[in-house]
Amino acid sequence: MAPKAEVRPRPLPRPLMVEAITSCVETPFGEALRLLKLDVLGTDDSPIPITGYYTPCTHPKVSGSLRLSPESLVPPSANSFGSRNYCPVPGTLINTNNIRGFQNLDVEYLLREEAKKILHDIMSGKIEEGPSLLLRFLVISFADLKNWKIYYSVAFPSLVFKSEMTLLSLRSASLVLSQEKAKSLSKSLKEWRSSNETTVLPFFWVDMSSDSSIVIRQLKDWKDCQDSGQKLLFGFYDNGYRQDYPGWALRNYIAFLSLRWKMEKVQFLCYRERGSEPDLEKSLIGEASFPPPHGWDDSDYVPAAIGWEGEKPGDGRKEKKLKEINLESMSPERRDEEHQLLHLKLMGWRQFPVDLKKLSSFRCLLLGAGTLGCEVSRLLMTWGVRKLTVVDGGHVSMSDVLKQSLYVDKDCGVPRATAIVPHLKERCPAVDVEAIQMEIPTPGNPVSTSVLDDCERLQTLVASSNVVFLLTDTWESRWFPTLLCANENKMAITAALGYDSYFAMRHGAGPGTVAEGSDMVAAMSKLSAEDVLGRQRLGCYFCNDVIAPVDSVSNRTLDQQCTVTRPGLASIASGHAADLFTRLLNHPDGIHAPGDIAGTNSEGPSGLLPHQIRGSVSQYNLLTLMGYSSSSCIACSNAVVREYRSRGLDFVMQVINEPTYLEDLTGLTELMKSADYSRVEWVDEADDDEEFADM
Amino acid sequence: MGGSSVCDGTLSLDEFNASAKALVTKWSGIDVDNALPDWEWRPCRKMGVPSETEGFVALEGVYRIGAGSQSEESDDDPVPDDVVEHDTWVQSSRDNVHLYDFHIVYSFSYKVPVLYFQGLQSGGQLLTLDEIKKDLPSHSLQLLNESKWTFITREEHPHLSRPWFTLHPCGTSDWMKLLLHKLGDKDRSLQYLSAWLSVVGQAVGLKIPLKLYCNS
Ligand SMILES: [Zn+2]
Repeated sequence: MAPKAEVRPRPLPRPLMVEAITSCVETPFGEALRLLKLDVLGTDDSPIPITGYYTPCTHPKVSGSLRLSPESLVPPSANSFGSRNYCPVPGTLINTNNIRGFQNLDVEYLLREEAKKILHDIMSGKIEEGPSLLLRFLVISFADLKNWKIYYSVAFPSLVFKSEMTLLSLRSASLVLSQEKAKSLSKSLKEWRSSNETTVLPFFWVDMSSDSSIVIRQLKDWKDCQDSGQKLLFGFYDNGYRQDYPGWALRNYIAFLSLRWKMEKVQFLCYRERGSEPDLEKSLIGEASFPPPHGWDDSDYVPAAIGWEGEKPGDGRKEKKLKEINLESMSPERRDEEHQLLHLKLMGWRQFPVDLKKLSSFRCLLLGAGTLGCEVSRLLMTWGVRKLTVVDGGHVSMSDVLKQSLYVDKDCGVPRATAIVPHLKERCPAVDVEAIQMEIPTPGNPVSTSVLDDCERLQTLVASSNVVFLLTDTWESRWFPTLLCANENKMAITAALGYDSYFAMRHGAGPGTVAEGSDMVAAMSKLSAEDVLGRQRLGCYFCNDVIAPVDSVSNRTLDQQCTVTRPGLASIASGHAADLFTRLLNHPDGIHAPGDIAGTNSEGPSGLLPHQIRGSVSQYNLLTLMGYSSSSCIACSNAVVREYRSRGLDFVMQVINEPTYLEDLTGLTELMKSADYSRVEWVDEADDDEEFADM
Repeated sequence: MGGSSVCDGTLSLDEFNASAKALVTKWSGIDVDNALPDWEWRPCRKMGVPSETEGFVALEGVYRIGAGSQSEESDDDPVPDDVVEHDTWVQSSRDNVHLYDFHIVYSFSYKVPVLYFQGLQSGGQLLTLDEIKKDLPSHSLQLLNESKWTFITREEHPHLSRPWFTLHPCGTSDWMKLLLHKLGDKDRSLQYLSAWLSVVGQAVGLKIPLKLYCNS
């Protein structure tokens, strides 16, 4: 048992020296801290309570350490984890917002503040109830989110007595105790360690008075036996393995015994194990004396303290080595995904409340994968959307490659629905894309054989999505999806382009809601101009255009058919559409949110939430508009929705085959006769919309 | 407990739980002389509340000294003691110490136990697979290289939802079937984990005392 050739302790009696405790800050703790910072703390850098896990030494040649694992960050009130080798110990974490803040921390002051807490706990009697408070620790850190690193330092505050603690003796417990006593102590320690209640208590006292059996008692039982002046051992879980030094915990224990129990000389037991058994050969029994310190009972007294880990003797805090956790290896896939969301999380810290959970769980249905579809899908992913369904019936042509930002030369001739998938995945590996090659059933278009199937498919797709983006390049192809969204009360966002004007809007809520199950009739009677919140419904894309959808392509000249638009317009409109969607998502009323008008409405946390945005690049105009649902709208009016609900796809097929049917149904035929409406192209209409601006 | 399913080398969840508790008891009852701690039953926590039925067995805080050296324990090769001395404390070096945690988790898809483990440097940094392999005794490496069933992958720990190393469970039921043939019928499911561990432990350098697997 003689110590090896090394630093040899001075002869006894000598000043009490202990073996320093070390921290084991697991990489997964760093990962958990990183996520906590990103997702919960934001810029909040106030101290948070954490839990460390302490253990007596279990190995003949290695000291135990204080472990910090991901569980350490679970708030102590909700953290029930603890076991024999994971004695929970309270700690404080100060995570600064930047490296300068970290470097500027007054570490000596912080250490003394923690020491003061320990002193208070000793004086107030809290230690008796929770002995592990004597092991209180402090972590300061800076989470460098962009570089996947955590810088940290750990301190184990230990009170410094002005007068010295003197070590009078120190020997292996097996040499101090008789065989019989050793056996009895061993047995009691085993019981202590196998009881769930006591095994997590690192400080205890041993009553050696009786010859027959040795009893181990909790600190809180001290009062009962105070006057019995027999042989006592003050035991603690000693994380150290060394035979020539007791472990770190002894210092604060002695401080407690001196200040609280007014002792000046004690026998102590450094409890150590081998495997999971008490090891009395390795455990030490020693004696220490310590004259009482003065002035410590003063409630404002701030004790001197030591305890920064890694502090080299002599040169103090200046040279303290910063520790570092490198998180790059944690999980490459998750890291990539997090990199991609970092800008949003950082946005969320300061200005814009981005609900990433909602965004990533929302399935977005994009109808059209052309110029608008490419832009919108890309932007939605940038916003954190991770579930996309893309529907398109066309193929990539040479002229598309330049205008439709996702496609490349080799995609020519490939269906857009096939070509777009790898391009989205390349940009965002975490995205879940479903792409369907299909034409949108459209009133007035030549009827293909599959149109009924397509209608059913679209019904299912709309029903299973959370939001629908209408991005096709004809006006009438948006009719059926608009009706479906109105019927399902589904969020719908429209973007459309003119020659030099653009348009983006969110559709209003549907008329009432579809009742669950059999209550269809009752639900229909509820259809009204109000939505379920009792507000007047906002309009849909068709509410503004009081004509029925007919084939808008076949009667046009080539430049009209090709939908010539100024370059850049699609990007602007798509940007507005995606942005409108995220604002809508953040609004507490969601689809029922009233339409804001710039200049007249006050801003919410995510800015204004307009109903419609119309802009023109030639005049640099940007208008926010609001319009209520029209009672004669061919897509969202009560009459049309009621007809769809009662006749289903029969009705839809009839509209597709004879578009004027809608005009009769909604009374438009009458209206048009009386008002002598001329046919208006939707793309041109954006120029003269002053009547909307007043609303 | 019907021992029937055990005959094909698999375990039900109930049998796993019973066998795990048997392992914990048996392990703490025998003298493990190489300073291994005890296996502990860890109930899963859902919202902080320990589960009644689901859990895993954990052997944590297993030290390996002298990183990189293949010889496990030679008494004349202790931790290099570059002790730093201060007037109130000393600091022992832990530079060559690695810390391992082992978990035995029930796999619902394979219906067999699966070993998960992680290695840490003494300061807490996770060890890579290459670093772990340097810690393994040569017979473990040989086993890992030669045997078809023992390959190490990094997978999400089912109860901790973060990646741990694991020994892939495919093939487990096949060799367990052979191993369990030797045992009496009524002991099979209780002895399952002890028998399994005596094989799997070798692959990751865990010294399993012979007594664990021997009867009575
Ligand atoms: Zn409408």
